[in-house]
Amino acid sequence: MPTLWQLTLVFSVLSIFSFGGGNATVPQMYADSVTHYHWISAADFARFFALGKLAPGPTLTMGTLIGYAVAGLSGAAVATAALLIPAGAIVYALGRLWHRLRDWPWRERFARATGPVVLGLIWAGAAAVAQGAIQGPATIAIAVIATVVMLVTKVNQAILMLAAGVVGLVVFR
Amino acid sequence: MTPKHVPVAALLRVFLWLGTTTYGGGQSAAIRREVVRSRGWLTDEEYLELRSIALISPGPNSPNLALLIGLRLSGTIGAILSYAAASVPSTIILLLLGALALDPQFPALRAALRGCAAAAVGLTVANALELTAIYRSRVPQLLVVAAAAVCVVFAHLSLWATLLAFVPISFALTKPVAAT
Repeated sequence: MPTLWQLTLVFSVLSIFSFGGGNATVPQMYADSVTHYHWISAADFARFFALGKLAPGPTLTMGTLIGYAVAGLSGAAVATAALLIPAGAIVYALGRLWHRLRDWPWRERFARATGPVVLGLIWAGAAAVAQGAIQGPATIAIAVIATVVMLVTKVNQAILMLAAGVVGLVVFR
Repeated sequence: MTPKHVPVAALLRVFLWLGTTTYGGGQSAAIRREVVRSRGWLTDEEYLELRSIALISPGPNSPNLALLIGLRLSGTIGAILSYAAASVPSTIILLLLGALALDPQFPALRAALRGCAAAAVGLTVANALELTAIYRSRVPQLLVVAAAAVCVVFAHLSLWATLLAFVPISFALTKPVAAT
């Protein structure tokens, strides 16, 4: 039972601060679930992140898998609710208040100012995932090839992920 | 804002479909295509306005956008149902995949996922490189990107401390938009 409260607390706080669509929360999610509470290993964190990229839906919902690993279906339900409800309540309030915020002169500037900060957090998130995902030359090669393919071609990321899965199946068995 | 009274069932259908069939960055574009172009529920101006609220809000961007569109089109019930439709089914798909992957009976899946995890690092790095290129001629913004990343990776600065420390700095470095 205390674990469910911890899950609720950790993911509610992440939800409130999840600017930038959830990608910015990855370093904090790693710090909480791997480093601080030892709920999952770094390798599992990287796997869950990969599953989040494979499945439809936002990155933030990889927290559902962390909840599931910690406390089964009730953990998954609690983590999902904690991730979605606080942020949803804030968006709802902003949507209601928008006619008053519309003329706020700093609105656009605020939106643009969060960009570089979120991007710094995305870089830090890549470093967090790499801690569990990059082990040995084969994983380095896959990561480098994936980077290049994404930069120079327009291939769908889901297809790239499936291809990497096939490579993993052959190489890591 | 007054709701336009689009039937809630129609909203549900749209966001259930989009929430389970679209990936990552393509979602907002897919929502626009459906809600603005195909169905004419919103004008482009209204869409962009709601999108700008979604972008400054916490939480996943496309469910946020769904919530705001639901609120605009069918009030509070529309908001709640659109948000749930855009986020819950995809979460269930993810959970099913995760449950299989965690099952020790399927070691092959774990091997496949090792490959996927390495590729996911590549995806994130490629995405981050492309986003960083946007700021290539803006040194102050690049310094904010680097400083935030370094503080989180090496000083383990928390998410909220990072946002509280760097958003005001970034705000001060951002030029105000010319009045339009």
